[in-house]
Amino acid sequence: MAKKSDPMNISPNEAEEALATIQAMRKKTLHSYANSGTYITLIVTGIVWLVGFLSTQFVPEISGYVWTVGSILGTILGTVLGFRMGKRVRSPSTAPTAKRIGLFWLLLVFYGIATIAVARPTDGKQATIFIVLFIMLGQLAMGLLFSFSSVWWALPITALALVGYFLLPSIFYLWMGVLGGGGMIVLALYIRSRW
Amino acid sequence: MAALNETIHQPVRLRIMAALVTLEPTNEVDFSYLRDLLQVTDGNLGAHLRKLEEAGYIAVNKLFVERKPRTFVSATPAGRKVFHEHVAALESILKSK
Repeated sequence: MAKKSDPMNISPNEAEEALATIQAMRKKTLHSYANSGTYITLIVTGIVWLVGFLSTQFVPEISGYVWTVGSILGTILGTVLGFRMGKRVRSPSTAPTAKRIGLFWLLLVFYGIATIAVARPTDGKQATIFIVLFIMLGQLAMGLLFSFSSVWWALPITALALVGYFLLPSIFYLWMGVLGGGGMIVLALYIRSRW
Repeated sequence: MAALNETIHQPVRLRIMAALVTLEPTNEVDFSYLRDLLQVTDGNLGAHLRKLEEAGYIAVNKLFVERKPRTFVSATPAGRKVFHEHVAALESILKSK
């Protein structure tokens, strides 16, 4: 049976230190738990974007293959790593939530394709910005619904994409690769370093 | 008045309980996740978990995932209760400063 000590044995300074320790641990736990999925998503998406956009800018003739292979590999890698990461914290509510997330992304892809089909973008840049906006919209929805602390990064990436599209059309793909993809990788490493 | 708890007050155990109580009651965490979070060794964590389990403050669930043994840990309702009482007692000491 656990022993209980006399409260008088602990000084106010010790109590303050203990409360600070508890507060720091709770914050660290929440941060680590909330950002574990964000880290994986950012690093995988960042690498795919970096390689894909750079190929579109410099070797457009093979960029279709690079994007196809990158997207397939990225999806598989993200799913496997996310699944492994998710297994570190078990919860009975995880499976239904995962199904809802999967269905949400499937529907978002459908809506994205439908929008592009209706809008008929005139060039690759327009199609790209549509896709980027839909992906970032999905990320915002995920963050708002499941982990508020992981919302913020989708907003600057969206802003960067819009700046590149409207102000720097000649280097749009290079801009998206280095600042969009590279930015995600740097963010992921920053999040990981704070765990 | 809420009472301080000697078992929980030990620094590593205090951090273990803080981490477990922060998660939802239905959640249980992997041993290695907890070890990384607390930055302690396997042996150190194992020893403190045993003390908390003996006191009935945590539940240890050992199972096989993909044929590999895994240990999951969660705070019990009793553990959550004494942890909150411990925090209340600490706060009352601080208020009386």
